Amino acid sequence: MTRMAATLRGAAPFAALVLVWALVTRAGLVPPLFLPPPGDVARAAWEMARDGSLWVNTLASLGRVLLGLAAGVPLAVALGVVVGLNRRLAPVVEPVIGFFNALSGIAWLPLAITWFGLGWWSVTFIMFNTIFFLVFFNTLVGVRTVPRIFEHAVRTMGGSRRHVILQVLIPGALPSIVTGIRMSIGFGWRAVIAAEMIATSTGLGFLIFNAANFHQSDAILVGIAVIGVLWLLTDRLVLQPLERRTIERWGLVSTAP
Amino acid sequence: MTPRVETAALGLGVLGAALGAWSLAAATLPLPDYYLPPPTAVLGALTDLTAKGILPTYVARSLERILLAAVTGLLVGVPIGLVLGMSGRVSQFCYPLLNFFQSVSGIAWLPLMLVWFGFGERTILVAVNYTVLFPLIFNTLLGVRSVPRLYVNALRTMGAPRWRIVTDVLVPGALPGIATGLRLGLAYGWRALIAAEMLVGAQGLGYMIFNAQSFHQTARIMLGMGMIGVLWVVLDYFLLRPLEDATIARWGLVQR
Repeated sequence: MTRMAATLRGAAPFAALVLVWALVTRAGLVPPLFLPPPGDVARAAWEMARDGSLWVNTLASLGRVLLGLAAGVPLAVALGVVVGLNRRLAPVVEPVIGFFNALSGIAWLPLAITWFGLGWWSVTFIMFNTIFFLVFFNTLVGVRTVPRIFEHAVRTMGGSRRHVILQVLIPGALPSIVTGIRMSIGFGWRAVIAAEMIATSTGLGFLIFNAANFHQSDAILVGIAVIGVLWLLTDRLVLQPLERRTIERWGLVSTAP
Repeated sequence: MTPRVETAALGLGVLGAALGAWSLAAATLPLPDYYLPPPTAVLGALTDLTAKGILPTYVARSLERILLAAVTGLLVGVPIGLVLGMSGRVSQFCYPLLNFFQSVSGIAWLPLMLVWFGFGERTILVAVNYTVLFPLIFNTLLGVRSVPRLYVNALRTMGAPRWRIVTDVLVPGALPGIATGLRLGLAYGWRALIAAEMLVGAQGLGYMIFNAQSFHQTARIMLGMGMIGVLWVVLDYFLLRPLEDATIARWGLVQR
């Protein structure tokens, strides 16, 4: 299948959805306040693109996710490897991080508001928190589940501890780390939308919640569409290539050479 | 000491040290009281709110909502995923749509649902059910599609009717997908529930911690967070793990 055909095939379901949506609203089955017709939503999108509010809020949300990743991932991977190396400490720390992992995200918001006030810091803290604990947990589990026989093999052949860490533990934990990063983007993206609704006045979450206050259903649908499309693009352009470069290259998906 | 006892002892030591550091920080840091209440204040909030009956009520509300979403998801989402996944063409058509709808969490739809249903129980339930449902449909579909055609053809060759292929090949083959979908859907749904309770505010743990924030009752926030974490551990232990153990772990397919 050519690239063009693949794109068309991917777009066809959405075209069908918009068609059904147009028919339902045109037939007057639902009031426009509940579900505005696609034309209205397109017009709202055009207006929001022209006055800049669409770009400002999209960039605000994306910026928070990127900042959370830039701060959270390196710290979480480093700590995960260090704790994972300590065979006494690791079984103690793992359930603690698992607990914070279960708690991560929006549940921290009231405490974040208490500490940092409403605004930028609180939302960014939620992002960092969500990403950090998920990646930490997955790195720790990844390092701990590398079979010790590989470590013994490197040691027997005269490898140092540094060799074991760089050649065995980190590559061995990599699939788990990549899974952690993938999940953290999924959870983080949801958390940032929810946090923006409550705690700040920029971002896509704020945009749609604010639109609800004014009963602007068309603006809400523009926001929802942008949220969904951004996720599909992230998945296609970042996450899938990341997995191809790491997990598949290490022979964990395809057959061994 | 056996390693197990050693781990337990070390765990107790770490827990004690953490509680000690927390108490010390709360007592000595030059911050207003509401920034960091000591562990004893959280314990006080626990006994206080339990005695008043608020905590049990709110825990029950949140649990009811998430369990309802889990049951609805299994009864509705799994059959839909199975039916869609049975045809190659249909699943290819639905895949991008399902991927889109499962990636837009229920909380993003919440503003529109507020326009539809107003501030109330219905909005919370629809948002949480939506959040649990789509990852379940999506992953069930992926599970069905991952069943090798060989098995289907093998049964066909031996003259099995269509329903035998569904019950003996497709459903068991899709179980890892269903388990993944339930785990992911419930994890997303639990967070969406907390957020929806904060925004809509009709009882529940999310409402409790959000409301406590407006009154600077930080001990109640920490208590609520603790409960949210503990309830997830309970859900994991009593719902998700038994399901995985009874199905995919038995076939050596577990992936937690």
